[in-house]
Amino acid sequence: MTRTTLEAWLGAGLAGTAMVAGAPSAWAQRDSDPARIVILTGGEAPAPVPTLNEGALAETSNTDVTDQLFLHLADLGPGLVTAGDGGFEPRLARSWTRRDSVTLVFDLDPRATWQDGAPVTAQDVVFTFTRARNPQLAPNLSNLVRRIASVTAEGTRRVVFRYTRPYAEQLYDAVFHAAPLPAHLLAAIPDTALAQSPFVQAPVGSGPYRWVRRVPGQFIELEANPRFFLGKPAIRRVIYRLARDSDARMNLLLGGEADAMDNLPSPRTNVRRITASPNLRLIPFPSSFIGYLLFNQRDPRDSSRPHPILGDRDVRRAIGLALDRRAMVQATFGAEADVPFGPASLMLWIRRGAPAPARPDVAEARRLLAARGWADHDGDGTLDRNGSPLTLRMLLPISSAFRLQMAQQVQEQLRQIGIRIELEGVEFPLYNKRRDQGQFDVDFAATGQDPSPTGLTQSWSCAGGHNPARFCDPGVDSLIDAATFATGDASQAWLSVLRRIEADAPAVFMYAPTYLAVIDRRFGNVRLRPESLWLSLREWTVTGSH
Amino acid sequence: MRRWLVRRTLQAALTLLIALVLLFLLIHLLPGDPLAREGERALTPEQTEALRARYGLDRPLIGQLATFLGGLARGNLGASIQYGRPVTGLLLERLPATALLGGTVLLLNFVLGVWLGVRQAVRKDSREDRWITTLSLAGYATPSFWLGIVLAGFVAVRWRLLPPAGMRDPFGSGGTVATAVDVLRHLILPATTLSIVTIAGVMRYQRAALLDVLRLPYIVTARAKGLPESRVIWRHAWRNALFPVLTLFGLWLPILVSGSVFVESVFAWPGLGSLAVGAIGNRDYPLLVGAAVLVAMVVVLGTWLSDVAYAMLDPRVRTS
Repeated sequence: MTRTTLEAWLGAGLAGTAMVAGAPSAWAQRDSDPARIVILTGGEAPAPVPTLNEGALAETSNTDVTDQLFLHLADLGPGLVTAGDGGFEPRLARSWTRRDSVTLVFDLDPRATWQDGAPVTAQDVVFTFTRARNPQLAPNLSNLVRRIASVTAEGTRRVVFRYTRPYAEQLYDAVFHAAPLPAHLLAAIPDTALAQSPFVQAPVGSGPYRWVRRVPGQFIELEANPRFFLGKPAIRRVIYRLARDSDARMNLLLGGEADAMDNLPSPRTNVRRITASPNLRLIPFPSSFIGYLLFNQRDPRDSSRPHPILGDRDVRRAIGLALDRRAMVQATFGAEADVPFGPASLMLWIRRGAPAPARPDVAEARRLLAARGWADHDGDGTLDRNGSPLTLRMLLPISSAFRLQMAQQVQEQLRQIGIRIELEGVEFPLYNKRRDQGQFDVDFAATGQDPSPTGLTQSWSCAGGHNPARFCDPGVDSLIDAATFATGDASQAWLSVLRRIEADAPAVFMYAPTYLAVIDRRFGNVRLRPESLWLSLREWTVTGSH
Repeated sequence: MRRWLVRRTLQAALTLLIALVLLFLLIHLLPGDPLAREGERALTPEQTEALRARYGLDRPLIGQLATFLGGLARGNLGASIQYGRPVTGLLLERLPATALLGGTVLLLNFVLGVWLGVRQAVRKDSREDRWITTLSLAGYATPSFWLGIVLAGFVAVRWRLLPPAGMRDPFGSGGTVATAVDVLRHLILPATTLSIVTIAGVMRYQRAALLDVLRLPYIVTARAKGLPESRVIWRHAWRNALFPVLTLFGLWLPILVSGSVFVESVFAWPGLGSLAVGAIGNRDYPLLVGAAVLVAMVVVLGTWLSDVAYAMLDPRVRTS
């Protein structure tokens, strides 16, 4: 090849590239229908089918897609109150009645159909709960619905739920955890084979949107279900577009390639970038997350013994009193977070009426520590007792910028009263492993909560399934039991739980964030649901052009 | 030649086997747990153990290795924990995107890089030579993720000339040509980013190799015969200056499947790199091992191809 030929080819290549870059509208025709939405997501939805969002497949992105495809019997009302039978909005179930304190009867809406045209029947609900209650198929889900004793069909449109005992969240347990599946399509598939079945690659649901396609690693496309019995959605096409990297998500939004994102990523300068964009707006919503400093109750070297420092409640309380949590939250989140009272995120309804969290009281913190024998005997700036310094290792994942930033502030504030904190930032999988093994003094944890306060039993009861600090106060357990099985207004009972936990100081509850969703301005009637952000998408309107 | 080829092939197979065993063991020794989750929906220890048994993670590592090698021999890399689907299928889904990006970068680097390297050698110590050297080394020293963010920020977000991320417009419509144009538009930024930070290697190799050849007596003879300079360079000198570049090509061949983790992330390119990142974060051992196996195979294959090509072009290699 001569030089001239090569240069000619290169020139042609560059010219071709310029043409491709410069002539998008001529060749790559684009649907500019404003009645469609591109929602950015950081994770794929590998199994967007109820009862499969379990174990290693558990992803929020699954729930996002599932909730468009499959309708629940009822949804939580705007107050997100999970107790009682009143705060719910009918969906597949037209109505429900109570036969006695352990029996709920649901009447299905006769207009409800599956997207293949078949009617939704009571048998579908029975089929779904048979799966959901099987611990071999759905270990987590079966635990959540463990108080449902049986689900039976009476005719084609009536379903009867019987419970093991009276409690406040019977309706919630029946409607929230699993949306009904189409028995007529799935009954022939062996129970354990559903996750690998073709159904998962093209689910058929009863919801406002139906499946169109999945382009692996890129997006999932849904379209409005024309047969949807509660009214065809105004937004006709929905794309869940995958971009794991937060910079890529921001670029897609700002470049006009996407319309919505669940949570604006850090840094906070991104707020300015979004507000400067004429098409985008920020909508705050209460998140289900809560961040806290969890104190290990057991010695990490020998879990049969209490923790040599943190086994003492007064030391734990002193640490809480020494911290100016409001200042830290303000410095880290600005106005987009609050200091919680007890383990209650902004989404949890039981936080309403809760007292304000304790204000910092450094003098009282010093007094408590001194009373327990902690003093700076050797003058090195760190308190000690019997020759042992008051040094604690704080475990946290380095991927969490917020936690890292706050941990440094905690470290500095505690240094001023003589407590030395050694930060151990590790990669997230390692963080999870060490936390689960109890290999920490203090764990800077962040937990996503369910709307139900009964989720607190997981981390704050003696028998909790996820209690890495091995916190155990039988008093808290009885209060949780009393609140769970209260048949009237349970809110005061739950506040007693929060008060008791605060008094025990198993953790310092640091922050409960408000998230900022980003939504294109052309959408109206935007209602974001903290328990499943895009759940109300079918009610959104399209008010402007793209 | 045949004996040499058989010996070299057996060497490659042994290297691959050792690499596979090491990769499997190292990946499984990474601290972390594919079933660990944070929050109230985290599994209890009993539930975790049940799932561990389901995925075979409760078995001794040697037993898992034997199962893996047995499966590999049948082309079965197991099921992904994170996706609940066969690893082979997942890798095959993502391979075309990575191969497209990697292939474009290889093409750019070895066409543009060779051409620029030759220009530099021919114009040694000129202003052009110095400028190209400076610019290419600046590109080489630039982190790919930073360059990607900057290019996307200006070209895609500020000027809106190209899409900022992804491989296809979800709302793109039209036939094959429109789809091809759409993919090409999405390809330009990631390919340019990756090429800018890697092209310097080819250019420097080509420049140095050609300069060595241009000093040889047969080039002086060719010029003395009155041959046109372009013929001297491209016909007589360049062919003999290709060997080092050929070796480099073999070593770079794995980019076809490994891609670039950073560039794929920044541009949300749906390739194997971004799949592997997710697998690392979730400790999805079967998927991670599967991706590593694929890369190892292409590395060994690339080296083998490069050796074979070298041996075919230069008999001294196979007789030594």
